[in-house]
Amino acid sequence: MLGLDGRIDLANMALILVLGAGIAAIWSTPWASLAASAIAVLAFNFVFVPPRRTFAVDLHQHALLLATMLTVSWIVALLVARLRWHTAQATAQALRSDQLREFAEAQRAADEPAAQASILRDALSRLTGAEPTLLLADASVDTLEGSAFHSFGPATPDESIGLRLCLQERRPMGPGTGRHEEQPAWYLPLRGLRGGFGAALIRRAAGDGADRELRDHAQALCDQLGAALERGAALRAAAAAREQAQDHALRNTLLTAISHDHRTPLATILGAASALHDQDERLSGAQRRRLASTIVDEATQLARLTDNTLQLARLGQVGLALRRDWESVEELVGTVLRRLRQRDPHHRVKARVEAGLPLLRCDAVLMVQLLDNLVDNALKHGAGDAPVEVMARRVGAAVLIAVRDRGPGVPVAQRKRIFEAFHRGERVDSTEGGDPHSRPGAGVGLALCRAIARVHGGELRLRIRGHGGSSFEMTLPVEDVPEGTEQDGGEGAPP
Amino acid sequence: MSLGVLLVEDDRELRATLRDALQVEGYRVLVSASLADARAVISTALVNRGVDIVLLDLGLPDGDGASFLADLRREHSTPVIVISARPGEDHKVRLLDGGADDYLVKPFSLAELLARMRVALRHRGTTVRPLTLRYERADLAVDLQARRVLRAGAEVHLTPTEYRLLARLVRQAGQVVTHRQLLVDVWGPEYIEHTHYLRLYMAQLRAKLEAEPADPRLLLTEPGVGYRLAEPEEE
Repeated sequence: MLGLDGRIDLANMALILVLGAGIAAIWSTPWASLAASAIAVLAFNFVFVPPRRTFAVDLHQHALLLATMLTVSWIVALLVARLRWHTAQATAQALRSDQLREFAEAQRAADEPAAQASILRDALSRLTGAEPTLLLADASVDTLEGSAFHSFGPATPDESIGLRLCLQERRPMGPGTGRHEEQPAWYLPLRGLRGGFGAALIRRAAGDGADRELRDHAQALCDQLGAALERGAALRAAAAAREQAQDHALRNTLLTAISHDHRTPLATILGAASALHDQDERLSGAQRRRLASTIVDEATQLARLTDNTLQLARLGQVGLALRRDWESVEELVGTVLRRLRQRDPHHRVKARVEAGLPLLRCDAVLMVQLLDNLVDNALKHGAGDAPVEVMARRVGAAVLIAVRDRGPGVPVAQRKRIFEAFHRGERVDSTEGGDPHSRPGAGVGLALCRAIARVHGGELRLRIRGHGGSSFEMTLPVEDVPEGTEQDGGEGAPP
Repeated sequence: MSLGVLLVEDDRELRATLRDALQVEGYRVLVSASLADARAVISTALVNRGVDIVLLDLGLPDGDGASFLADLRREHSTPVIVISARPGEDHKVRLLDGGADDYLVKPFSLAELLARMRVALRHRGTTVRPLTLRYERADLAVDLQARRVLRAGAEVHLTPTEYRLLARLVRQAGQVVTHRQLLVDVWGPEYIEHTHYLRLYMAQLRAKLEAEPADPRLLLTEPGVGYRLAEPEEE
């Protein structure tokens, strides 16, 4: 600037000063730039304004120039400061709304209250720089009687009391909130629509408590967790109610099963066995053999019934683990046919399994039980010597396994209820001979079959066949078999 | 001298019924109601060759039978048939993998029990005597020594893996062989999880050896447990 001295006049030199003040305002804090402008104007006065080397001013016009320069510098400094403040606000706002969005996403991904709480703690400590403490209630405050609290993070006894108070009143406390202003920390409730689900303690450095924006943002985060907790609590309550209803229905079913279905074969067994026991000498050999074979038949029937009832009870349990493995339809059907051979001396059951069916991921014991029940049913209800067909083929992304008979079919009135536990088919052919041991279907058989199909992600339906008879059709989804069936060497038995 | 059976069963009625039935069949029957008792009986009885086969009920009051089986297997190859209460029980599969010979699920008929015992007794002592090398049933004949598989007199061509699988079943013909045993012995220990191999190769074997693959008479499936090659015809 000294190099310009004398070549341009004072007023123009002063503009350079204003430029400097502007630059200072951009780089430093508002107060520093105000002070810097003032010092610069004084120095300018001292060095350049005649009389030089003094702070005195000769001419009025110079005084006006200095005053204007100072004012302009300050205005520039203030404008720039305001601009910077607004920019900072906007950036902070954007960051916070980003954080809110990320937070909401993280909350959705976590379903355990503990995991959700730790996400909120992370978010709050990033926001405020201090380690927050959370208190979560197990249920909504309205039903708080005796319910448990879970605390996340350290808290003094006073702070714990504050957290509980905040949780109960569902209103924020602490500096700037209008309540308990003297507290050194904020207590923010985690609010849902229908109650408070916890409270957060955010410790503030002294004198830094009144940042309203920050508190609003923290409150927004807390309320998001409150809403998430409320959603979770509602879901759990609904599941519990469903479970209870299921348990109740299951217990009723089992009681009916035991009191009704199990008694009939038991009565027959007891009758036959006591006849053998009491009338021993008076029975002919043929009579004795007939009684013994009745006992064997009825006991077999009772064993099946017990298996079905127990399995139905097991499937009704929540969190049941199936023993799934890769199973071949051909093998499952083959196993059922083998077990049947003793009961089906006339080979009424025929199997047609399409070649090249994919393996199914299922519990083999359950699947065999299902098919066995369906075939047993078909043999009992099918007409006379008409064949029973077990058919398996691929249908789109599923495998269809059907057990078909040519019996009188299921009466229209019963079709809807046939899969309910404890429904039994009317006995239609009691006077038409057929298998002397035939009797209406086991009360839990079809209900169990449907339950088994469903736990495997499939479905079991009844289809009425065109020319009489019923077809029980199960569809099971096909899953991808893991890669890599190792290469087998060329044909021929090894030498 | 008649064969000795040790029956370990805690239910008194079933124990008495089975003892009577087995005695009628000509077996000498020792009974135990608990594992502790069974240990005592077997330690004295084995010395004088008094027990030829063990029938072991699962779910005894004093243990699950696994440790009893392990102790027994350390010194003796006496056949053990496991009697299980439920069809879907994992426990019996673990015992089969651990060296039990076969299993039955309650309720079972006497005929089934006798058939299982007969097969187990026939395989008795396979560790010292030569393995079963020939198998014949229906129109199938397998000769492990000559490595030949004949069906109705005509040679059947098997791939090496199919042959190893069939040979493994022949060595224990009539007895159940668990999935795990088959996968380890035919493919190797790293293939224990690959049940789908077993299904595929079993289907191929059935297609080559069974008259009606969907209604097999030879290669039988034991759901959730393993496979059983039907008992060979008596020679």
